Amino acid sequence: MSGTLRMRVFLVVLLIGSAAYMLKDTISYYTMDEAKKEALLESGELEKIRRNIIHQGLDLQGGMHVVLEVDLEELIKTRVEGNDVVIDELISSSLQEAQQEEVDFFSTFATNVEASNVRLARYFPIYEKGPNADVMDALESDAKDAVDRAEEIIRNRVDEFGVSEPIIQRKGDWRIIVELAGISNEAQARELIQATALLEFVLIQEDSQLLNEVIRNIDKAWAADMGDEDSTEQLETAAVDTSAEDIVPSLADVLAGDEGDSLSITGTGDIGRPFSSLINVGSNTIWVPEENVRSIKRKLKKPTIAASIPTDSRLAWGVSSRDISGDGRLHRALYLMKGTAELTGDVVTDARESLGGFSGAEFVVHLSMNDEGSREWTKITAGNVGKRIAIVMDGHVHMAGVIRDKISDGRTQIEGMNDLQDAKKLAVVLRAGALPAPMIIEEERTIGASLGADSVASATRAMVIGFILVIIFMAVYYKGAGLIADVALFINLAFTLAVLSTLNATLTLPGIAGLILTVGMAVDANVLIFERIREELRNAKTVKKSIDDGFGRALTTIVDANLTTILAAGVLWQFGSGTIKGFATTLFWGILTSMITAIFITRTVFMVLTERKTMTKLSI
Amino acid sequence: MFELIKNVNIDFLGKRKVAGIISGVIILAGLVSLVVHGGPHYSIDFEGGTEIQVLFSESTEVEAVRTVLSSIGYGDAAIREFGNIDEFLIHVKTATRSEEQVNEIREAIASIHGAESYEIRRLETVGPKIGKELRGDMISAVLIAMIGIVIYISIRFQFMYAIGALVALAHDVMITLGLFSLLNLEISLSVLAAFLFIVGYSLNDTIVVFDRVRENAKTKRHDAFVSVLNLSLNQTLNRTVITSLTTLTVVTILLFFGGEVIKPFAFALTVGLVVGTYSSMFVASPVVLIWDENQKKRQNS
Repeated sequence: MSGTLRMRVFLVVLLIGSAAYMLKDTISYYTMDEAKKEALLESGELEKIRRNIIHQGLDLQGGMHVVLEVDLEELIKTRVEGNDVVIDELISSSLQEAQQEEVDFFSTFATNVEASNVRLARYFPIYEKGPNADVMDALESDAKDAVDRAEEIIRNRVDEFGVSEPIIQRKGDWRIIVELAGISNEAQARELIQATALLEFVLIQEDSQLLNEVIRNIDKAWAADMGDEDSTEQLETAAVDTSAEDIVPSLADVLAGDEGDSLSITGTGDIGRPFSSLINVGSNTIWVPEENVRSIKRKLKKPTIAASIPTDSRLAWGVSSRDISGDGRLHRALYLMKGTAELTGDVVTDARESLGGFSGAEFVVHLSMNDEGSREWTKITAGNVGKRIAIVMDGHVHMAGVIRDKISDGRTQIEGMNDLQDAKKLAVVLRAGALPAPMIIEEERTIGASLGADSVASATRAMVIGFILVIIFMAVYYKGAGLIADVALFINLAFTLAVLSTLNATLTLPGIAGLILTVGMAVDANVLIFERIREELRNAKTVKKSIDDGFGRALTTIVDANLTTILAAGVLWQFGSGTIKGFATTLFWGILTSMITAIFITRTVFMVLTERKTMTKLSI
Repeated sequence: MFELIKNVNIDFLGKRKVAGIISGVIILAGLVSLVVHGGPHYSIDFEGGTEIQVLFSESTEVEAVRTVLSSIGYGDAAIREFGNIDEFLIHVKTATRSEEQVNEIREAIASIHGAESYEIRRLETVGPKIGKELRGDMISAVLIAMIGIVIYISIRFQFMYAIGALVALAHDVMITLGLFSLLNLEISLSVLAAFLFIVGYSLNDTIVVFDRVRENAKTKRHDAFVSVLNLSLNQTLNRTVITSLTTLTVVTILLFFGGEVIKPFAFALTVGLVVGTYSSMFVASPVVLIWDENQKKRQNS
């Protein structure tokens, strides 16, 4: 074999090898049984696999896609003092006008306000009195804030659905896209997305004895629960239970040893302490390593385990994970809090992020409350100095801060934010409880799981039949060369899927259609080459020369012809939305890889075949 | 060698008048239908509205569905049987608040046999505002694709080939659009994607021919342009037929076995493929010839 040919063969093998490697995760994911998936999910391994696989679109696995838009009319009207027909009419007509002419609402509103000579400050006393432009700015930023708040609320809640990969995305200034795969009860999902956020201020239980006791109780209830689930495991549990007491240091010891830092309790396989073996405890907070969060969350929802928590207390998760020990491992906080809230969010009048604190250069959030709230707040802060109070939205702890001293004027400064982004986010959360963000569903697409499964079945069937027919046709029509083309077709399909895996693409129904089309079209490059070779053979050239010339001449044609289709697919990919994108993506990569397989891989196979002996006849 | 078409010498360009008449008639019929129907029949993707596919567990008549929908003011709803028996597709035109509309329809459906007797297999609702935006986005996508293609062909070939390709494209899209109007089929997002695919595919076909023309024009400089075109078409005929056949095979399989949801999409692809193959032979090359002849006339005069 000549040097260049050896290089080519090596490259072909390398390409196929890397495609197989790229496809590995996708194949193992979709051939895995549910039990294995569950096990990998608990260990956190599944997330890694899922990062490199082709996902199924909502139209294939069922689920809902919702586009929410802030209801500008509603939002602005609720800010108008009293009932006024003039301003209401102005808002409604501006909105309609803006919609019809597809222009920005606020500029239309501004023009109409100017034209009708209205002084906005009169109608919107909640903003600082000023010229119309200032009120308009305040309204616009209020509206944008409403979208921020709604997004934060939704982010908080999708957790509840147990959706594996929820997508929450901003689109333009006024819209949020929410995608929940596998959701079957769309009415309930819709309600949860749109309901007003519940913001609470809840004191944290700072009693380590109590925390210790709660953890012990959960351990017991959990162990009992495991026994219920699996009777064979029950015996083992009982056997290990007694010995475990001696090996593992008691939680109280651990807590007494070090109050400030988090300590880990070793022994993951420990059945007697199924809960405490999965967690670390420090500063009266339970720290859960990220990989254990999911399984603990699920267990805590079980009625028998939930019942082990005293009624005057509750457990609540922090919203994000932190690297508490500095070793790169992320932990999520689980707080033991008082059962009832001290105060709810409706007393909050405003919350703004800014610079402040002792040095004046820290990121802080200024929180203001109404009179009633301020009075309560004074009492709460006075009685709990040194304790922590949590800001909880929809059951998730966004912040747990220590009360430094009594706050009597209702103006609170919250410190300890890492950056401006954190401060902004907390301010958004605090404001979410203040004013509801009116959001309307502008678009909703829900596909039932049964329909999705039907679609997958029929599309796959179409694909298999199409593939087989094309393969048979090529083999019959071009004989030996046709078989080579068939192999190229297989490789092409594998390459396309490999690229889609690496892109972490989502396969939709039109996407499968795109794959089927690729099967039909991918032979085109081979057909172009083979027809050219046949022509050269007819012109009485030698086999080797015919092959060389056939490939050489067909090359420009293949490039020119395919580039236009790729161009069309590329435009669709860029501008198309939702499922169309899936179609464009598969087509784009399918045709691109078919060029590579036809020009390079098929050629290499021919070269290997004709290398040794001078062929006199070619099977084509 | 096993060949479909052997040593043919079809006078494609000689049949350009006949082809022109056939294309003209089909396009005209489509245009008339479009005018009569008041433009393309857009799906809820572009018009806004609600589409609910509902499967009843008890035997249900279309009339029962129609009656409850009429009672809540959706007398103009389109209801058709879909897939299984007792499965219906309800299509309601745009409303200001799609959410309220969905809830109303849901309650109406539940009132037929009770809340447990139905399953919503698919629900799509698009507000009028989004529909309008989607339409704008897709139209600009098609335009951008076309402009890009003209630029590409003008650079790789000559401007007159770009014109030929573009006329063929417009021809294909008009015929497919007209046919959809004649059959009263909806233009949805996925159908529009199919149109864009047709644009790409039809071009693919056309360019293979043009590529040959470019090559032959160099070697057969003394031949008349019309015979160069004919020769090129004949030389590439085998490839055109084979590729179109394989693609058409998989697309028709998609049409018949791909499932109910994908049918309109597959139909658009099937029609587009046939029309696209035809136009690369009978429309694109004749246009280039006419353009070339006109130019020569102008130079001579």
